[in-house]
Amino acid sequence: MLEVTDLHIEIEDSLIPETVVHDFDITVSPGEIVGIVGESGSGKSMSAHAIAGLLSRKDMKKKGSIMFEGEELLSMPRSRLRDIQGDDIAVVFQEPMTSLNPVKTIGWQVEEAQRIHGNMSDEELRDAAIRMLRDVEIDEPERVYYKYPHELSGGMRQRVMIAAALICNPKLLIADEPTTALDVTIQAQIIELLKRINKEKGTAILFISHDLGLVRTLCSRVVVMNKGRITESGTVEEVFNHPREEYTKQLISAIPKFRKIAEASPVPDRKPILEVQNVSARYKKITGYFNPGAKQRLVVKNASFTMYEGEIIGLVGESGCGKTTLGKTILGMLDDTDGKIVHYSEMPQMIFQDPYGSLNPTKTVGWILEEPLRIKGGYSEKERSGKAREMLSLVGLDETYMKRKPDALSGGQRQRVCIALALMLGPKLIIADEPVSALDVTVQEQVINLLIKVNRELGVAILFISHDLKVVYELCSRIIVMKSGEIVEQGTDEEIYNNPQHPYTKQLLLSAGYTEVTQPDGI
Amino acid sequence: MMKKLGFRFRKNPELYIGAAITGIMALIMVAGVLFSPYDPDAMDASSRFADPSFAHILGCDNFGRDLFARLSLGGATTLFIAVCTVLIGVTFGTIIGALTGYYGGAVDEILMRFNDAVLAFPSILLALVFISVFGSGTWKVIISLGIVFVPSFARIVRSEFMRCKNLDYVRSARLMGAKDIRIMFVHILPNTVPVVLSSAVIGFNNAVLAEAGMSFLGIGVQPPASSLGRMLSDAQAFLFSEPSYAIITGASIAIIVLGFSLLGDGLKKNA
Repeated sequence: MLEVTDLHIEIEDSLIPETVVHDFDITVSPGEIVGIVGESGSGKSMSAHAIAGLLSRKDMKKKGSIMFEGEELLSMPRSRLRDIQGDDIAVVFQEPMTSLNPVKTIGWQVEEAQRIHGNMSDEELRDAAIRMLRDVEIDEPERVYYKYPHELSGGMRQRVMIAAALICNPKLLIADEPTTALDVTIQAQIIELLKRINKEKGTAILFISHDLGLVRTLCSRVVVMNKGRITESGTVEEVFNHPREEYTKQLISAIPKFRKIAEASPVPDRKPILEVQNVSARYKKITGYFNPGAKQRLVVKNASFTMYEGEIIGLVGESGCGKTTLGKTILGMLDDTDGKIVHYSEMPQMIFQDPYGSLNPTKTVGWILEEPLRIKGGYSEKERSGKAREMLSLVGLDETYMKRKPDALSGGQRQRVCIALALMLGPKLIIADEPVSALDVTVQEQVINLLIKVNRELGVAILFISHDLKVVYELCSRIIVMKSGEIVEQGTDEEIYNNPQHPYTKQLLLSAGYTEVTQPDGI
Repeated sequence: MMKKLGFRFRKNPELYIGAAITGIMALIMVAGVLFSPYDPDAMDASSRFADPSFAHILGCDNFGRDLFARLSLGGATTLFIAVCTVLIGVTFGTIIGALTGYYGGAVDEILMRFNDAVLAFPSILLALVFISVFGSGTWKVIISLGIVFVPSFARIVRSEFMRCKNLDYVRSARLMGAKDIRIMFVHILPNTVPVVLSSAVIGFNNAVLAEAGMSFLGIGVQPPASSLGRMLSDAQAFLFSEPSYAIITGASIAIIVLGFSLLGDGLKKNA
């Protein structure tokens, strides 16, 4: 049905025209699910967008051939391409927040493709849209039909996107990281939905993802991309069980798969480093002179736990459950809090999620690292830069990085600098807020290893905030589970993973694919 | 190297054309002030409205003063006034913007309401009020225009501070125990430079026009001192008999403004 051969994509809008995709070949047969995997910047989305005809013909030069149902997409006139787009080929994008138009109702957006390609009466359009919404498992589709995107959750929006893509019954659905922005439990539901649609309607799916675990559960064939080239392709069994290329092996070994990177080192006398007692935090809604008595929203409710020296605790939960807020509350970054927080160490530090926002873009790495000592005072220039170099080498970066600015660093390098920065004052407690979520899997593993090294060598206790149970399993010895602002369960990793008590914990583990309880090596 | 420059030029032609125009104009004025053989104030009845010649490149005005020498001095005065005005605006605007944007709350409310009050008046009108209170003269023009310019810079800096104050690197500086002043001026301020710079250049433009306007109305620079607005005002009386006087002066203002406009756009694009 779809046959791409020898596709090259060149970006012309830059100093030296840059070829971002080389020799790309892929075939998709009717009713098949094919995955394209690769890290960010590997050219996987670019290739998929070229197939969907979404790349500007002016700025992106394409060579090769994209045959769809016997027609050449690359050379066909714009008007014919428009007939195919949205009718025979449909696309679901990654970001459900921006891919729906905020000023149009859900119904209108689901109908749009049908309105363009078919000629139906308003009645028929509405019926078809509601049927489609029901098909993607949206409750009360008659009501949702009249709602606007901001009234729906991320998972609901992604369902609406899928409904809008499927309304014309396309032969090929291109799904570009459709679940990346969603929580694990929602992610699992969307994957199930895609599977069902493929089975019931026979829609072929081209599934683009950086998540090899997902590709493995969903696709029958897979193409692995790296730096704009296909490194390997074949059936999922072939590629995952007998990878031929080094890069593929590396990718597969980097899939977080519920294994311990390092066993917890038992601490002989467990001295507490942090006590959190009945802590609550609330955010005020925007206040003004005209609406006094502002509404308050409790984000953390009565959280209590104790943390001991040198341990790594995982704080898990889905987005919006209050885990980041709890972390900030512990460090005294919020005003409106109740309860008691006792610190037994000085100057606890924080590592933030987004490595692009956490380093001042106008300063050099050296300046940034020396700043805490400058603020503290009492260090000579030589001592400051010596200490900065020492920390830099601890996190695996050499001296040449001292003079670089954050712009010149990759995400992983930035996160290393952030860790070095957090260590400058020699804290005994670090709160790491989703420190690896923004990174590619292979880089993720390196940063996790670094955190373990920091924990072992310097005895720093780490409160590791994450939504990813696999990553948490790799390094944490105790786990705290949060839901809607409350701590629902806490215990050792053994207790939480192998004998979860709270139904929510069970659900989380199930969605994360932790089914083989007795077999720690399973994916 | 040349190719790289050519590429940069194609990406942002405004920046380079604007920089070239302002650079050349500034150079001509400096050359005129330093090297012109004529005293810009020296009158010579015999060369009244003399046509351009080798002796007087641009000719002479109604008192027989060399137009090129006067234009150079006038342009330099105008530019000096503009620079000082923008400096006052940027300095005080940055301080007010930093305080209001960073602290918010009562500080923000009080200072910004003053700001709004100043912004509520048309700037020329407000400057006129200041002049009529303080009296006229080059320094008085600078101060009154400077005050008028503060609010717009304060707003720009304020919004930049509000954007930056919740970024993670600022949070992390706070966790290290940095004091507010240090966070404001060492951590946040450098990040506002691109935005402030481009609006400073545009402010520069407005200052040139405002000075010209005030001097034209007779409340700015006082004779015999020369400025572009002052000269345009003089030329007005001879608009029909000797149009070249007004045209040359007007064109100088237009070229300077054009140069700064392009430069400002280019910087904005670069930011």
